[in-house]
Formats: sequence, structure tokens, C-alpha cells
Amino acid sequence: MIFLKAITVPTLFKTLAELCENLKSTTKRNAMINLVASFILQLEVRETSAAVLMLIGRAFPKWDQRVLEVSWAALGTIIRKILNLSDEAYFQAFDKTGDAGEAIESLFREGKIRRQSTLFQNELTILEVHRSFNAIAGITGTGSRERKERLLETLFSSATPLEVKYIVKILIGEMRTGFHEGLMELTVSHAYRIPLKVVQRASMLAGDIGEVATLAKNKGEEGLQRLKLKVFRPLKPMLAQKIESITEALKEHGGKTALEHKIDGARVQIHKSRSIVKIFSRRLTDVTSSLPEIVELCQNEIEEAEVVLEGELVAVNKKGKPMPFQNLMRRFRRIHKINRIAEEIPIRLYLFDLLYINGKSLINQKYTKRRERLGKLAGSIPLTKNIIASDPDVAEEFYKQAIKEGHEGLMLKNLDSLYTPGVRGKKWLKMKKVLEPLDLVVIAAEYGYGRRHGWLSDYHLAAQDPDTNELLTVGKTFKGLTDAEIIEMTKRLKGLTVRREGNKVIVVPQIVVEVSYNEVQKSPKYSCGMALRFARITRIRYDKSVNEVDTIHKVREIYNNQFQRKSRAPQL
Amino acid sequence: MFKVKITDAKLLRDMFQAIAILVDEATFNLTPELIQLRAMDPSRVAMVDFQWPKTIFDEYQCDQPQKMCINISELLKLLRRTAKEETIELSLNPENPRLQIGITGKYTRTFHMPTLEPQEEETPTPKITFKTTAKTTTDGFRQAIEDAQLVSDHVRIEADAEKLTLQATGDLMGATIELKKGSDALLDLQTQEPAKATFSLSYLVEIIKAASATSEIATLQFANDMPIRIDFHQPKEGKLTFYLAPRIEVE
Repeated sequence: MIFLKAITVPTLFKTLAELCENLKSTTKRNAMINLVASFILQLEVRETSAAVLMLIGRAFPKWDQRVLEVSWAALGTIIRKILNLSDEAYFQAFDKTGDAGEAIESLFREGKIRRQSTLFQNELTILEVHRSFNAIAGITGTGSRERKERLLETLFSSATPLEVKYIVKILIGEMRTGFHEGLMELTVSHAYRIPLKVVQRASMLAGDIGEVATLAKNKGEEGLQRLKLKVFRPLKPMLAQKIESITEALKEHGGKTALEHKIDGARVQIHKSRSIVKIFSRRLTDVTSSLPEIVELCQNEIEEAEVVLEGELVAVNKKGKPMPFQNLMRRFRRIHKINRIAEEIPIRLYLFDLLYINGKSLINQKYTKRRERLGKLAGSIPLTKNIIASDPDVAEEFYKQAIKEGHEGLMLKNLDSLYTPGVRGKKWLKMKKVLEPLDLVVIAAEYGYGRRHGWLSDYHLAAQDPDTNELLTVGKTFKGLTDAEIIEMTKRLKGLTVRREGNKVIVVPQIVVEVSYNEVQKSPKYSCGMALRFARITRIRYDKSVNEVDTIHKVREIYNNQFQRKSRAPQL
Repeated sequence: MFKVKITDAKLLRDMFQAIAILVDEATFNLTPELIQLRAMDPSRVAMVDFQWPKTIFDEYQCDQPQKMCINISELLKLLRRTAKEETIELSLNPENPRLQIGITGKYTRTFHMPTLEPQEEETPTPKITFKTTAKTTTDGFRQAIEDAQLVSDHVRIEADAEKLTLQATGDLMGATIELKKGSDALLDLQTQEPAKATFSLSYLVEIIKAASATSEIATLQFANDMPIRIDFHQPKEGKLTFYLAPRIEVE
């Protein structure tokens, strides 16, 4: 018998960089998918995960909390050192392009490189870049900045200018190739002939498209089917579609639906195994250390050994009335003096779903069943208020009550719905109190990222101050317009450009847009002291001129009105 | 069973320190004759190759070859608590995968720390044809390197038949340091052909600082734009060798 040992050659990082260049030059989805599919089919098993993640601009999978933490300043220091550049020459490269990867690539092409060689010099492979990322993330303690710089210096030294460009892009996490995670799921499905639904489900459960691609390569569809929910590995939350009326929701859910108060807080996933509790944000970031009292609450109240729960956190005042969203965000970002702020901004947890209990996943069980089991194990932790209704009047009354209590609106959930992670379907619906849109003028615009590269797609929006005749910025958004509209806006804005500041152009205030938003919040960012949260452009107002845009007084009035329902934050 | 005892706590600490500048987790090969380690720093620019024969220790017991991986910086934290004249005993129990560190002086304390999964992959030695061999006092070489560090972050080391020259060029300042053959610092110099190579001072300074604690004499070997090899002569047939890859200017 003859044993054939498979001879495999590690894939060069150059191949990945060249693939990214090809992706960037096409906008056709199918062409992109074909390119990436043939690339991943040729990868070795051990390099698949790293390569797949790098292609979507990630050094590590989403559930993995490690970060590279390379600051702009550190990156600049290293590049200047390798190329022996003055600060001025370094920053000049960024005048030509707003894309950091491209700017640094051009410096490497033109510059005289002082390379730090390695003891065993080889062409850079995907695995070697991955090994460097691991090493960078693993550095902690004293002297870590210097050791990180050494690693990056060596990595850049071994790379060609094109490779440098994509290493920088992965470090920043912005590939600008237009190839995102959703397309990667389609590609894995296409490459290994596995139904898309199976790939998507696996991707949600694993929280790691790299692992899914590796499994698909190794074990095929069956391997993906066997993936299970694991404690401490967060999964993407199930999402809801927006609706305008309760009757619409009742119709969609067959005449009967579950209504829950939609709390204007932060959605969290809580994983508990015995006395260990971890809390993940909606974007699957570990926020456990900012929330010691919630950890303790779960340790004390939940007796079951292993659970995965979903809930909403809300900042409240002493009487338990919710405070605006931004106060809660202050808690999330907090690293120091957590105990002090925990006293000043108390938060409350409301639970609304149960996804896993003692080794068993519940995501394939019906909503009513999950909710029932949740009620039994929650201890004294409150559940979001809910009712099951078929009568539109009862439902309407419940909605009014939610708004009166300072909540955002209602969630409407199909009684028989299973939990489909990451999917925004009609099984869950949401209805929110809408604030009246504002007409604002565009006073500046920025070049966009990825697919929107080369388009002025990020707009600075201003209201007028009738007392001083000034235009005051109240927000910035890249949301709401179609591609065609963005192209049109780009043309018009280029014609109105007064001057350019890096990636941004200042324009003659002429284009008026209608803007929706979720809330007006306090903000030190703008001189008026307020900012729109989740601003999005609903239409371009060709019919309006700059003199007709809304006033800053109106914005302030909307800000103040919310406190008829909510409590104000203490001054910190 | 692995068990060693040394009455010079400082020597043990200094030797671990020299390894710790390059690696956090170190996999040691323990044999009946010696303790050996060869490891590269994470960026693969520098390598340490080191051997302690059993004669360095006052007691040495190792029945069969085995590997031991430990976190060196954690171990150093413990060893920094020792005074010069104290005795240290390291032991590894096969049933219990952890390292026991006994320190005896005015009083006795015993620490233990976990051992880690050893690295299986052996690090090869770079194969280089050196053109120059220079024997210096470790202190003389250290002084020269520290002079260079005042003006730059890298240094060019050059040799001809007569002398060893260190050339440092910074943004504004520069330095030329010469070690002539037969001087107090340069004990011997053999040059087949003139050679020069440039090295990062951030590595060199750390290596030399750590190594000079246990070494009086250093032998440097290098060639044009190739890695440098530095042997720091150790007491009692110990071996402490570093390799460092050069910086190369590309036109």
C-alpha cells in the first residue's frame, strides 16, 4: 500500500492582498463571490479561518475579545521610523487620499525602506501575518508599547507595499473592498455547496465565519449542522422589523400576538455558568466589567447552573423612571471609577428571552415556551411587561401605557416564533413613537468608506439660529439615501465646495434634506449642545431653501419635551 | 523527577532575566546532563540559545529527558524576592504538573506555579558564514553600545583588520566609537574581509544589559548585512548565545 502525504504549501499573504485589489475593482456581487470562493477552496485547512476573517477586515473572530489596539499614533511612529520620514511628509500622504491603507502604501512605494529583517527570512504568508496578530494582541504589561512596535516594524518590513496596505486595513478594520460578512456567508455556501440557511445559522451560533468556513471545508454540511450554542460565546441577536400600526402587526401574526414594552435601553446578552457571569452588548462586545451590579444580581437571583438570557438595561432615576439613552452609554464606556458611577447612574435590568438552559439550546422552541421558562427562573429580576392580545383596542391601550411610562414603544412577537439569531424578519415587529422629522441643511460632507469610497456620502447637518443667523451643526449621517441619490449629491456638493479639509469638504449651505432621528440628545460635540441620535435622511427637499430649514429652538423644544416622559440625568 | 539546587540565587535570577528579554513563555529541555533552551522573540528578529550544564548547580537530578514550559516573567517575579546568599531549589513533580520553587535563607518559603503546554517545534540555528570574529570585554562592548544609544535607535557595526567601529547616526546627532585591536576593550579581532551590518539598538541594549550580569567576555561574529552572533562567555561551561537579525536599507 502506498500512503500519499498531501503536500500543501502555505498561501502567501500577497495572494490575499491581490484578491482584495480585484474585489475592489468590481461591484458585481457574483463576480466577487466567485473570486473569493475559488480562493478559499485552495486554502489549507489551518489557514482558512485566518484568511476568511482577514478578507472581511478582522484579525480575530467576533466572539473573541482580543484586540490589536494599535493606535494611529503608534502606527505613524512605526511607519515614519521604517521610512525615515518627517511628520510633515507622513501627513502629506493623507492629503491625497482619505484611505489610510492607500496613503501608507504610496509612502512605501516612493520611500527608501529601512527594513528590520528576521532570522529566517521568507515571503510573508497568511499564517505568518496571523501569528503576528496573535503576538501583538498577546502583549501586555510593562514595555508593551515598545514590544508591539517591534512586532509591527518587523511585519511591515517583511511586506511589499501592497501587502502593507492590507495589513494597515486589517489593523484599522476597514477593508473598503465592499466584501462584507454577508457576502462571505454566501461565498462559503457557494464554495462548499451548502444551503445558505445552514451557513447563516452556523455563523450566528459560532459568531465566527472563519470557524464556519473551516468546518465547511473539513466536515461539510453535516459539520455545520452539528454546531451548537455555547455558554460565553455570544450569538447575534434576533432582530425586529418596523411597523407603523398595531392592526398591521395583528394581521401579520394571524390575529393574535404577544406585546412587550420596548424599553429604550441597551440590549444585552447575559451568559451565566455557575457563579461566572458575562455580559455582552448588542454588538457582542464584552461589557461585563462596566456592570458589576448586574453581574451580582444575576449571581444572586438566578439559581439555574447554566443560562443564556437576553434583556434590556436601562438607566433610571431614584423613582425608577427611565433616563435618556445616552446616560446608559456612559456606563458602558466606563472603565474607571465604576462604583462611583454605578451609584449615580443606577441601572435596571429587564429580561425578555431565554436562549439556553443547562446544556440545552432553546432557540428552536416557541416564543411562549421560552417566555414561560424565563419567568420561572428569573428570581426577582423583572421581565419586560407583556400581554397577549387579539383585540386592537387592548393592544392600543397597552402601547399608550408604554409611552406614558417613558418607554420607546412596543415589541410585537409571534407566539409560535422560534429564535432566529441575526435575522430581521416579521416574526418580531417593533413599533416606536415617531418624532417629527426636521428639515436641515448640508454644510459639509465627507468621503465614504468601502463601496461608497469616492462618494461624498457622510453629511454634516445644520439647523439655523434665527437670533444670530448662524447655522449650527446638530448631527451627521450617512444613512437614508440610495446610491443614485448619493451620486447626485456628490456632484452637487462638489460644485458647492468652498474648501477641502482632509477627507471633508466644506460647502455652500444650499441643499436641504428631511431628517428622521430617534432622539435629540445632549452633546458636547456640537456648539449648540445637542445632537440627533440615529439621524437618517428621508428625502432631499428640492423645494426648500436654506432660509426654510428648522430652527435650533425647535430642536431644543423636542429635546425638552422628552422629559415629560423621562427623568433627567444627574449632573456629573 | 527533576530537581536542582543552587546556592547563588542571584546567578539563577540573572540567567532567567537574559531569557526573559526575548520570550514570555519558555520551553526548556531538561536532560540528565544539562538544561537547554533555544527560542526566538515573537517578531523573530532575535534568538537566544542557552545551556546550563549540571555543574553550575550544587545539586542536579534529572532521570530522563523532558520538556518544561513556564511563564518566565512570572517566575522572575518570585526570584526577585530572593537575596544574594539565599539557596533556591526548583523541582518538578511528574504527577503534579507544576514547578515548585523553594527559597531558603533567613527563613524558608515555597512557591509553586503552573507549567504550560510545551512548544514542540524546535527552533533551528541560523546558518551564516561569518567574516569577522571579535572578542571584547562584555563591559567594553556594553559601554560602546550605550554610547551609540545616546544619539540613535540603530547602530552600524564595522570591522577591518585593525579595529571594530560602531557608527550611530540619528536625526541630528551622530557618534563614532572605535575599539582598536589590542586595547583593553577589544581582546582579539580576526577579519577575513571587511564587514558591516546595522542593528536595532532597542534589542542590542536589552540583550547586553541582561547578559553582562553573568558574563565578562563576549565574542561577536558577523558579516555584511547578516545576523550577528554574540556569545557571552558563562561561568562553568554554560552557554549564552544571541543571534540578532540586521536592519537593511533598501534603495
